[in-house]
Amino acid sequence: MKMAVLRGEKLSKKFPGVVALDDVDIQIESGKVHALVGANGAGKSTLVKILTGYYESYEGEISIDGKKIVLRDPREAFQNGIEVVHQEVDTQLVPTLTVAENLYLESFNGGEFGTVISSRKLKRKAEADLNRIGFPLPVSMKVEDLSLHEKQQLVIARALIHNVKFLILDEPTSSLSLLEAQKLFDLVSNLKQRGVGILYISQRLDEIPIVADHITVLRNGKKVAYFDQVPELSQIVEAMLDVPQGNLFPEKKESTPSEVVMKVENLAWKDKVRQVSFEVRKGEILAITGLTGAGKTETLKLLFGAYQPEGGKISIDGVPVKIKDPTKAIEKGVYLVPEERRREGLILNKSARENMTMPFMKDFCRFLGRIIKTVEIKHTSEIAKRVHLMPLDVERQAQYFSGGNQQKIVVGRWLGGNPKVLLLDEPTQGVDVGAKREIYKLVTEISKNCAVVFATSDINEAIGIGDRILVMRDGKVMAEFTSQNADAKEILSYAAGVKS
Amino acid sequence: MKNNFKDLATNFVLKYGVIVALLILIVVFSLTTRAFFTVDNLFDILRAVSILTIVAIGVTFSVVVNGMDVSVGAVTGLAVILSTALMVIWQIPWYWVIIICLLAGAGIGLFNSLLIMRLRIPDLLATLGTLYLVQGLQMWITKGDAVYRGMTNPWSPIREVTKGFIPKQFLVLGQGFVFKTESFRGIPVPVIVMLFVAVIAWFFLDFTRYGRAFYAVGGNMEAARLAGIPVRKYRTIAYMISALLATLGGLVLASRIGSGAVKAGDPYLLDAVASTYFGFAVLGLRKPNVWGTFLGAVFVGVMLNGLTMLNVPWYIQDFIKGLVLVSALGISFAIKKESR
Repeated sequence: MKMAVLRGEKLSKKFPGVVALDDVDIQIESGKVHALVGANGAGKSTLVKILTGYYESYEGEISIDGKKIVLRDPREAFQNGIEVVHQEVDTQLVPTLTVAENLYLESFNGGEFGTVISSRKLKRKAEADLNRIGFPLPVSMKVEDLSLHEKQQLVIARALIHNVKFLILDEPTSSLSLLEAQKLFDLVSNLKQRGVGILYISQRLDEIPIVADHITVLRNGKKVAYFDQVPELSQIVEAMLDVPQGNLFPEKKESTPSEVVMKVENLAWKDKVRQVSFEVRKGEILAITGLTGAGKTETLKLLFGAYQPEGGKISIDGVPVKIKDPTKAIEKGVYLVPEERRREGLILNKSARENMTMPFMKDFCRFLGRIIKTVEIKHTSEIAKRVHLMPLDVERQAQYFSGGNQQKIVVGRWLGGNPKVLLLDEPTQGVDVGAKREIYKLVTEISKNCAVVFATSDINEAIGIGDRILVMRDGKVMAEFTSQNADAKEILSYAAGVKS
Repeated sequence: MKNNFKDLATNFVLKYGVIVALLILIVVFSLTTRAFFTVDNLFDILRAVSILTIVAIGVTFSVVVNGMDVSVGAVTGLAVILSTALMVIWQIPWYWVIIICLLAGAGIGLFNSLLIMRLRIPDLLATLGTLYLVQGLQMWITKGDAVYRGMTNPWSPIREVTKGFIPKQFLVLGQGFVFKTESFRGIPVPVIVMLFVAVIAWFFLDFTRYGRAFYAVGGNMEAARLAGIPVRKYRTIAYMISALLATLGGLVLASRIGSGAVKAGDPYLLDAVASTYFGFAVLGLRKPNVWGTFLGAVFVGVMLNGLTMLNVPWYIQDFIKGLVLVSALGISFAIKKESR
């Protein structure tokens, strides 16, 4: 294959109020792996979307071998030999069709196989093509029966059959087991030998020395570092780290936390949560941080009874408990603010009032479960004031509030109860700075009377809000810090697998 | 100003469109036919739609939890055959018959929810399966015979003539009148039963925490679960209510016709589903609701009653029903409600 260079210069993408990508240069060469690293929200996926023609408009210039190209449509990217393997590889495949059918999905509409498609012919062609590129995949198997790694292989094989020149791998190892990840690395070096240029996106720094030739680090939409060769990983860690934003967080409490409210021992669930143990005290905020997919969400859902643990012990106030569903958890005073508020937190077409009182409707009921609306309105109005809901209208449907205010509704919901342990999963995700500050203040205030577990992939947030900080990776607790000895660089080193 | 007027008009059409259309229908029919606008005819219409309304309110419950129950027609039919057969062939007292039928109905509802929640069969398919099972059961009870006084016992080897009959007390349910006066025929019992069911369902769904939970489950199952609502329990109860109300409808129907016709419940399925979705349009709520379903059923009843009186041929009536349903849903879904 001929050598080729894909170059993006001064690439920017602006959304109303946000610059997602700011003047970024990137270069992908045939036979080389260029690693793109950065924290959540650094602009990695924005860059991927520009290069794959997802956006109709962007700023900057893209060229292949010095010839300018425009990528305003996925088809244009495809025609220029650029393909991507998404993190969620399932979105690129039809699960009910076979491997062979998925291989030639694009051609069915074009008529390469004619109107009546002979499955024998298709199968034979698939076998021949897969043989040629050396991918032993079961052609007659349905895609839904493949493992995740096999699905990735299939998408890569499809790209190779299309004579892909530049392949983007978007966090390919984030859901793979260690063994599968090893196979993927072999595959990447195989692709390199074939002369494919690869952009490898990852947050896991431990795999960078294995796969990468060059490294670009993004932070807050900007390119902050470029390394022609793999440097000391601590250098990458330093570049990735955001400068902490000042005074977003309320003052840390002086008082020492009192008795242990919740104790977790050797909690286990599939391969997502492994032997997780910790305890959390009344009056304390325990922050759990780690990369996406480190097992934070799963841990919280286990504590809330939304998933059933496969092993381990949970005690509340020193008494071992079995939390078989969220209803039970709420009875015990364990409350969860889930990660995806639109999908898991709110009933969007119901009013803020109805969303707020959902778990505690009993409190407003008289005979036969009739809800006394006046009491309910009074109660929710008070909470709305306390959480600074904007606009202060509890009858408004949840879907019409901004992200930050939707989150306030979900947090406010639990103020109607008597929290013992409040679990928060990425509560400030997709929330503007003003609402962030309010949520921090609210959480700190709530934590005076209960234990709080605050999961976040933002390390500065974890340090800013947490009295103690746990770092998770691959479902395991890697390290623990107190707010006094917490160091962002240390934490990221543990989270990204530089240290263990 | 102009815009305002447009918004107001839109809102008005959305909220009261169906009710206005209903009133127009009534006025037109009473102007063109003499018998239409009388109290007796009013109750005749209500009586004619009472069974449909009862069944449709059951379907409404399944739709509230974002499901669907297509087995209701078969369940209605089962109640007709089972109740009459128990009385005529096996001579069981009418009050036991009612209890047995309601228990059978609850059992079918439970069966549906097991298929849907334990075996994870999609609701439409699960209840379709139940539809055939129940229909088959219905035929099996009498070996395919209709039930009437003096029929031969299909289960007796010598096919002896049955001695049972449907007692007066049972017939009251479908044929009786209450509050009779000299000048007034009285209110038909099925209408009372229907209003009773509607008022209770309305209270339950709109004013209690249970109703709130039903709608929450239908609005976002995962969010409801994470807010501590026992989602499984509510879905199970919804399917049980659906089957129970279909059974009640079947009992009223059996009493009304005074015999057990095979597959008598079948037509109620489509009309009940239509009434429920028609109810989305009533009051512009765009969600399943009891009075919407009720008005939907009444609308269908008024229309058919009026059209019959106008001598519109029967073979056109279904087409008109479809036309009206499509336009009502079209109006209610096409005009997007402005955000508040």
